[in-house]
Amino acid sequence: MQIGRRAALALPASAVLAGRPRRAGAGETVRLGLLHTLSPAPFYLAQEHGLWTGEGIGVEFRFFEAALPIAAAAVAGDIDVGVTALTGGFFSLAGKGALQVIGGGLHEQKGVELTAFLVSRQAHAAGLTDISKMPGHSFGLTQYGSSFHYMMGWLAQARGFDIRSVTLRPLQTTGNMAAAVRSGQVDASMAIASVARPLIASGEVKRLGWVGDEVPYQITALFTTRAMIAGRADALRRFCRGYQAGVAEYREAFFHPGSVGGRATESAIAAIEKYVFTSDPDAAAKIREGVGWYDEGAALDTADVRAQLAWFTAQNMVKGPIDAAAIIDTAFLPTR
Amino acid sequence: MTASAIRLTARGIGHAYRDLVVLEGIDLDAAPGEVTVLVGPSGCGKSTLLGILGGLLAPTQGEVRLDGELAPDCLNSVTTVFQDASLLPWRSVAKNVSLVLEDSPLPRAERAARVAEVLAQTGLADFAGAWPRQLSGGMRQRLGIARALAVRPAVLLMDEPLSALDAQSRALLLDDFAALIAGAGVTCVYVTHHLAEAVRLGHTIVVLSRRPGRIRAVLRIDRPIEGRHAEEPALVAMQARLWALIRDDAARAEREIADV
Amino acid sequence: MSRLDGPVAFRARGFAARDIPAASVATLVGLVLLWQAAASLGWMSTTFLSDPAAIGRGLWQLARSGELWANLSVSLQRLAIGWTVGTMAGLAVGLAIGLFTVARSPGMAVVAALFPIPKIALVPLFIIWFGIGEGSKLVTLGFGVFFPTIINTVAGIDGVPRALIRMGQAFNLPWRSIVLKIVLPGALPSILAGFRITTSTAIILLVAAEMIGAEKGIGAFVLQAGNLYDIDNLLAGLVVLSLLGLAVSWGLGRLERALLAWR
Repeated sequence: MQIGRRAALALPASAVLAGRPRRAGAGETVRLGLLHTLSPAPFYLAQEHGLWTGEGIGVEFRFFEAALPIAAAAVAGDIDVGVTALTGGFFSLAGKGALQVIGGGLHEQKGVELTAFLVSRQAHAAGLTDISKMPGHSFGLTQYGSSFHYMMGWLAQARGFDIRSVTLRPLQTTGNMAAAVRSGQVDASMAIASVARPLIASGEVKRLGWVGDEVPYQITALFTTRAMIAGRADALRRFCRGYQAGVAEYREAFFHPGSVGGRATESAIAAIEKYVFTSDPDAAAKIREGVGWYDEGAALDTADVRAQLAWFTAQNMVKGPIDAAAIIDTAFLPTR
Repeated sequence: MTASAIRLTARGIGHAYRDLVVLEGIDLDAAPGEVTVLVGPSGCGKSTLLGILGGLLAPTQGEVRLDGELAPDCLNSVTTVFQDASLLPWRSVAKNVSLVLEDSPLPRAERAARVAEVLAQTGLADFAGAWPRQLSGGMRQRLGIARALAVRPAVLLMDEPLSALDAQSRALLLDDFAALIAGAGVTCVYVTHHLAEAVRLGHTIVVLSRRPGRIRAVLRIDRPIEGRHAEEPALVAMQARLWALIRDDAARAEREIADV
Repeated sequence: MSRLDGPVAFRARGFAARDIPAASVATLVGLVLLWQAAASLGWMSTTFLSDPAAIGRGLWQLARSGELWANLSVSLQRLAIGWTVGTMAGLAVGLAIGLFTVARSPGMAVVAALFPIPKIALVPLFIIWFGIGEGSKLVTLGFGVFFPTIINTVAGIDGVPRALIRMGQAFNLPWRSIVLKIVLPGALPSILAGFRITTSTAIILLVAAEMIGAEKGIGAFVLQAGNLYDIDNLLAGLVVLSLLGLAVSWGLGRLERALLAWR
């Protein structure tokens, strides 16, 4: 009766555990959902440099292929925190009361070349030489409600034309987007710097601008579940401190005028290389070219989150009204 | 209706399925306007021979010829009526007949007239619009023969047309068929294993032996088909003679496993 | 020896499944009512699975705003063209395989090799070959319809009794007449049964076909609703696809009754 004996032994042990007030958060594991790309680089730093271990927690990475499944996984209880673009789908799920935005992530920032607005050679030759001439042309994006949709929407607003005058072509993946604008199947699309630069250099596509220069905004944000905030707030706090430390290292490595190119940069690249551009000889250069802006302290731009929610709601992609205050929790990280 | 002047002759017909010789050295004369009946034990190659006569099977040896003056209204010189009538289930009774006229140069009115005529002859005029599935076995066979008569064949080949019917239907239909064949004056080769049919219909009765099928005997009944009765003593005696010729072969065939 | 004294009991029960048309309607209606009841009585959360009333309201709004028709008309056109082209090509190839020895083995070999390929996996290739416009969408639908049509056509032709073809030959009917009046009508039941499969396949493939580069269409609409986690619209779109399937199935039933009245 081995099972019976084990059960008999386990029972008092668990009773002890349940009876003792838990020492807040320490020793716990937090499951983080993220994309396997360069954009969550500060999280890689935090993991590789033991910044969470220092906080007394373990963080388990769960990688995803697309932004929306990260939010869905959080709703389903498969992850505790996630970092992802704030898409229409994200707001819809958050609006159902399960998700809370708690911190900032990647930003499109003036002067930081992150996402390029590209047009095909043919369209450029035919006169599409400025973003304001987009009406009547086609734009390749991943899906409706994606961050590309949002960026195109803000570009349209900034340049004073109606986004409905642009033919949107959902192509599902960023790879398809790049291929479609190269072959001229769409007139315009977007690509991150590391993909865009070689295409521009070879003359296959023309760049009309950087999104960060045109319409700076907060692309990704850190979110968690209500259950996590309610039940494991201390572990979450530890997680956020580790994340902030990662952001600090990241900023020092890539954006601090005194330290860029020095030991901090080398050490950061070595850590990031373990996750992206693995075994690519040009990894270091690609990482240096591709890094995007993170605010100090992983601050959340609440005004921008509100603006995004308002835009998706106005576009009828998010069934409102969703109260922004109800999906933002600023108790864990600073605001911009 | 004038009698067919076409004679059907087969010379030295032999047929084999790979190594299995089914027919050997068959010489046959079907006289113009007469009925030649092929009888024999099962597996003697009667149906194979009929297929060869109708051009539906290529013999491995020998040749089948037609000789004589063809009537101008004939659309298909040699026509076969099958054991199962082979009706198209998706065509009505009338359309099953018109099927065989649709590719002819006959004017539309003439076609309709022929369809009406053969349906009337076979007692199917009231069922022109019915589906084949609605017909009894006897009616299906009548339709089969009506369709064959519509092309005014010079030679009519009939492959056990009554064998799928019950005894009562068979008896009724036999008299009708006799009248139809005699009336059409067609040169006819009729395959059956029912000796009563053979003596009722045949001018010439050809008895085939068991595999390989050879001609064992040829009997003549020099009397017109009209007015014959299967029960009359002369024909009953003829039946007995036929049975005596076939009996041993039939008994052996009955103990054999495979049929061709 | 045992003594018998009693009636012979009826023993030929069962093995005679019948159609009760009213029961099929009642089942669907019943399931919807059960679903609604479960939602209304709070047995299930409607956060991530809307109730029929909400889906109905969503549908009504889509219909009133014209959005439903804008999407449906585009999809119907794609279905009609893609299915018709795939079916015509499938019938032609199936007929060739069914009738000619030269075509049979080579044709069946190619069909056996290509039929199991998931057409959805070919969508990226179709986009390179036929562009992100209508071409790749129609080809996706047509390709999905093509192979089942071939298989059903060949099976139908093989199932035509040899005796009927021999009858046609016995009457010296021309080859064309034997094909048109005996072989094709004989294969028709199997071909029509194939239509039931291929119309469903086409509706299933519609979503895959409209995944790339489609601005409008029910498939694109469903995908968009999924991306936006707009559960009401997602389910409304699926209801439209389901109703489309039911309508096509009903239409085919009528067609079968009209064309196969002889059975």
